[in-house]
Amino acid sequence: MTDPLTWPGIFAQLGLQLWPVWIAIVLLFAVSISFKRHLGLYGKLFDSTIGMFGFTLVMFWVFTALFADLIVTHDPLAQFSGMRNAGPGSALRDPAGGYPHFLLGGDALARDVFSRMVMGAREVLRIAPFAAMISFMIGISLGLPAGYIGGKLDTGLTFVANLVLAFPVILLFFLLVAPEIQNTAIPRVMAGFLFLMPVLFFTVLLNARFFTQPMKRNLYVGAVVIVGLWAYSGLAFNADPFGVWGMSPNLLNVFVAVVFVNAPTVFRIVRGITMDIKTRDYVAAAQTRGEGPWYIMMWEILPNARGPLIVDFCLRIGYTTILLGTLGFFGLGVAPESPDWGSTINQGRRLLTVYPHAALAPALALMSLVLGLNLLADGLREESLKD
Amino acid sequence: MLLFLARRIGVMLFTALCLTFVVFYLTNLPAKLETLAKTQAGSRISDAEVASWLDRNGYNQPMLTRYGEWLGVVPGWTREEADGGMTGRCYRLADISEPGAAPDRCGLLQGYWGNSTRFRADVADVITARLGATGILMLWVLIVMVPMALLVGVLAGMREGSRTDRSLSTFAIASTATPEYVSGVVFIALLASSAVGISPLLVSWGVIEGPVLFQGNARSALEKITFWNFFLPVMTIALYGMGYVARITRASMTEVMTQQYIRTARLKGVSFPNIVLRHALRNALIAPFTVIMLQIPWLLNGVVIVEVLFSYPGFGWVLFEAAANNDIELLLAASVVAVVVVLLTQLISDIGYVYLNPRIRIS
Amino acid sequence: MTDQKSNAPKVHHAAKRYAQECRKGQLSRREFMTRATALGVAAPAAYGLLGLAAPEAKAQTPQMGGTLRIQMDIKAQRDPRTWDWSELANVCRGWLEYLVSYERDGSVQPVLLESWEANDDATEFTLNVRPGVKWNNGDDLTAEHVAHNIERWCDASVEGNSMAGRMSSISEDGKLRDGAIEIVDDLTLRLHLSSPDIAIIVNMTDYPAAVVHPSFTGDDPVANPIGTGPYRPVSHDTGIGAVIERNPDHTWWNEGNGAYLDRIEFVDLGTDPAAWMAAAEGGEIDMTYQTTGDFVDLLEMIGMPATEAITAATLAVRFNQDNAPYDNVNVRRALQMAVDNQIVLELGYNDRGTVAENHHVCPIHPEYADIGATPFDPGEARAMIEAEGLGDHEFELISIDDDWQAATCDSVAAQIRAAGINIKRTILPGATFWNDWLNYPFSSTEWNMRPLGVQVLNLAYRSGVAWNEAGFANAEFDALLDQANGIPDADERREVMAQIQQLMLDEGVLIQPYWRSLYRNARPNVLNAEMHPTFEVRYQSYGLS
Repeated sequence: MTDPLTWPGIFAQLGLQLWPVWIAIVLLFAVSISFKRHLGLYGKLFDSTIGMFGFTLVMFWVFTALFADLIVTHDPLAQFSGMRNAGPGSALRDPAGGYPHFLLGGDALARDVFSRMVMGAREVLRIAPFAAMISFMIGISLGLPAGYIGGKLDTGLTFVANLVLAFPVILLFFLLVAPEIQNTAIPRVMAGFLFLMPVLFFTVLLNARFFTQPMKRNLYVGAVVIVGLWAYSGLAFNADPFGVWGMSPNLLNVFVAVVFVNAPTVFRIVRGITMDIKTRDYVAAAQTRGEGPWYIMMWEILPNARGPLIVDFCLRIGYTTILLGTLGFFGLGVAPESPDWGSTINQGRRLLTVYPHAALAPALALMSLVLGLNLLADGLREESLKD
Repeated sequence: MLLFLARRIGVMLFTALCLTFVVFYLTNLPAKLETLAKTQAGSRISDAEVASWLDRNGYNQPMLTRYGEWLGVVPGWTREEADGGMTGRCYRLADISEPGAAPDRCGLLQGYWGNSTRFRADVADVITARLGATGILMLWVLIVMVPMALLVGVLAGMREGSRTDRSLSTFAIASTATPEYVSGVVFIALLASSAVGISPLLVSWGVIEGPVLFQGNARSALEKITFWNFFLPVMTIALYGMGYVARITRASMTEVMTQQYIRTARLKGVSFPNIVLRHALRNALIAPFTVIMLQIPWLLNGVVIVEVLFSYPGFGWVLFEAAANNDIELLLAASVVAVVVVLLTQLISDIGYVYLNPRIRIS
Repeated sequence: MTDQKSNAPKVHHAAKRYAQECRKGQLSRREFMTRATALGVAAPAAYGLLGLAAPEAKAQTPQMGGTLRIQMDIKAQRDPRTWDWSELANVCRGWLEYLVSYERDGSVQPVLLESWEANDDATEFTLNVRPGVKWNNGDDLTAEHVAHNIERWCDASVEGNSMAGRMSSISEDGKLRDGAIEIVDDLTLRLHLSSPDIAIIVNMTDYPAAVVHPSFTGDDPVANPIGTGPYRPVSHDTGIGAVIERNPDHTWWNEGNGAYLDRIEFVDLGTDPAAWMAAAEGGEIDMTYQTTGDFVDLLEMIGMPATEAITAATLAVRFNQDNAPYDNVNVRRALQMAVDNQIVLELGYNDRGTVAENHHVCPIHPEYADIGATPFDPGEARAMIEAEGLGDHEFELISIDDDWQAATCDSVAAQIRAAGINIKRTILPGATFWNDWLNYPFSSTEWNMRPLGVQVLNLAYRSGVAWNEAGFANAEFDALLDQANGIPDADERREVMAQIQQLMLDEGVLIQPYWRSLYRNARPNVLNAEMHPTFEVRYQSYGLS
């Protein structure tokens, strides 16, 4: 049995254990800064201290999630006798050739807090950005026509969006993310609707651009439709013939609920920006050129709205992370034993007053990721305003 | 203006109708009704007992009929009991059993909010009592949050890019990045634990008498609110809500500070504090006002988390209890209240915006 | 407290035999007390049979007066016989009393009965109602009232009436059998059983067996608090709390031996022990209802010592044999072999209990036979699973969303995973879990203690019984169990039990990691409030020093 580590030792070991992350960050920054003149808004980010700091935080967790397998010291689900609530740096009773310490201590079920936190990054970053992305595609696909065409369509869509927004989020979660609901058709039907939107989005996007060149159009649109419907069948109906795409009913349920809550807000933002931009000269010019409405929406308005949308996208990933944590806090949705931060905080908080490490590690992780995303958004906003 | 109000209220009613139907549908799925029967009549009862319980309590009619009953447009169900008395929705709500004594319809339109299965009490009583408790909590949250947010926002926005701005902005961002379930937990560990944090230190120095500085549980605030039992829940909600309002204030303030008339005033030699207080502040506060109003329904989320975390029985706590126990009529009433709060705050923010900003007129 | 001289000369012959067994060490003292008192032997006399003096009552008598604040869930009230949580009963214990009570030492004590006797083959019980007991509306308690209550318990047509199952030896077609109760005089009644059943009096100690006034219509016992006890409710708010005060308008039959407290306040702080902890630290509660896991130590640390009750309560992590792949005995046995119960006890239940042996018979049961446990062999487990072609199969273990139950299942799952077998966990919220609890393929259920080893086996593992969640249907097992039920003597029964237990192991019916000890924390000045093995909060005898 080895000796327990002291705090300097723990930090040294943590730094050592995270080596792939450091290398990746240094490489990324070296490459980005040397080419920043050619990288548009992304390059400009490196002129803003706040933005760069936020970006570093975000990339730290992204790389941690990517290289999680190299970083973890133990299986995040394995329990080790004698390590219940062990303090940071405790030595294992019987390492059996494995890593000899629990760097950040053990939780109430004698699992390694550090490994769970690292694997938790993977869980969180697997759902949050993806959910934010789908919400955005839905918000954009509906917000553009609502803002641009207006009229009855706008009234109807706005009413539905306001209806969803009038729901207290928590109530919606309690109603939607329940085991009884999982066994009904409701999540499948909602997923069938929600996941169809990205496919439609890309189809319309490419069709509007290339409909004058049928060869190219058929190729691009065909590819999108095939890949899109393939993923769609797997994700929404769990009917992928090749078994590549798929989601457990539980995850699907959570995912659908999170997207459902986020999409109306995005819709409102896109609609507002569209109504603003459609009065600009270049839109009028395109209209006189005789361009179709979808071309104008997708290729004239959307690119010009990208600044605020990118900023909101960063914020929304952060917000989605918080929402997932809220679900974990109420014990809804996410799979048990899962190392995702929300449920880990919830489990750890019970013994917080005596063994704070089990809850504090994921809490700090969650805070730093959301903080990073917010700072990144702030930096991007500042830089995009300088245009 | 009157027409505008009438239209808004019409939309509000229609929204509430749609919303309650969705809630009704989701809480009346067969599996949910089975859950309800088991929580009411015993968790280990058999399927036959579940069926008979649902039948005896009027849950076996078509869903639309029962939604109509709840609204008060369809007559409530009735059944003759073996002892000659009548029972039924309206008989139970009015607590009588003589045949013919109860009204035909007894729903929302007639003023009956129904019965809570979780609390075995009148929904209207439960909601009003709990809403009062939450009202007090929210009042204190706003009292703490609004001045703090405006102060931080104005100080930061006064001189854009200064060190004060940088540090205050980062603080505001950090506070929005800390959800209630993290900050609440950290607060308890830091301030309300007799084992860790600052309480043991204070006790050993003899500064405080009790074992802990603050109460980590707000149950006693129901009877008597003190600084010590109410501080933590209020701070937990206020902190999360504050960051966003502060950032909007800052943005609005920086915009105002670049306006022509401010520049003119500065060139005329008006002192900086005077400019901020006399000229900039009023215009800079329009945007935060609407945001604060819109923030209120947002805080509801935090209210649920905080009330559960600190076991303070308010509206959020009722929502949690009702949802966890599938208490149908209580959930419906709670969602009506939530919709009204959301839409009312929207309305106030719209009207206030017009009132504060004479350049905008409602068409 | 009780006057039972009438019983002294005529001790039931079986009780004498039990005493012999107990002295020889074949019967634990606790079990002896349960069985001797169940036959109508008064507790002091039972101790006498062992050649011991009855333990002295607690030296420290509580002072009169004071308020006690107890953390406990307050659930919506309903008809006592349909109570499904002990918390429901605990609120009403101050005015609704019981015929008999189950004590911490395992004895059954008379309360509203003065005494009872069984005939030699335990088919006829004579109940003597305590004279001088008054309801708090002024009526006298009579044998008629007791008969009315027993009849209520037998009515199986009321949904959730769990007393009906316990009264099966005096009921027929879901109601009281004609002639099963004979009212001898105002204070005496006689039960005529259709088959020998020494458990019938023990069953009347169960929490749904509260004695209600004949005018009680079966709704809310708090709204209509007619009872015999010294207290009365002041307020009752579901989910929030309840307040009880001493009833000044009523003379309690046991005046002077309890009812020390002026006021009892139950505080419902939700299911999260962290909130109880916070309330305890803030000085808002004096006592917990039940503490589990780490919180036992944590509350002790802040000055609330724990009391322990050793029980045969357990968590049954059972397979349902009607579902593939658990219809295969090799799969069940392999999963059992992958789990080291000792580690589950340590990690899942904080080492607060004793290791169990996967056959649901506890060493504190009199008929327990020590036949050894399932071997722990993860390598062999993995090999067996592979041999059945399930090497890639992902098993799923379902549990309720409850602190220690979920932790125990996590621990079981981690062990199975460590053996190289794929398994995932599912946690269902309490409200949902019970919807399907009998049919989950692989899940865990909490079982409370029953005094006799055969009782749970009869309830849960006999073919086709209502609570047979394991889907276990084995004719040989049923036959052996029938045989065991007919053997009153523990030693003789043990031989059959050894076969039954072995059969349970051979069939791999369940993973049963441990027997639980139960804990409660209270401030040092709270007297007589030790943890009770069946979770009773008898506040009429609690007091402050």
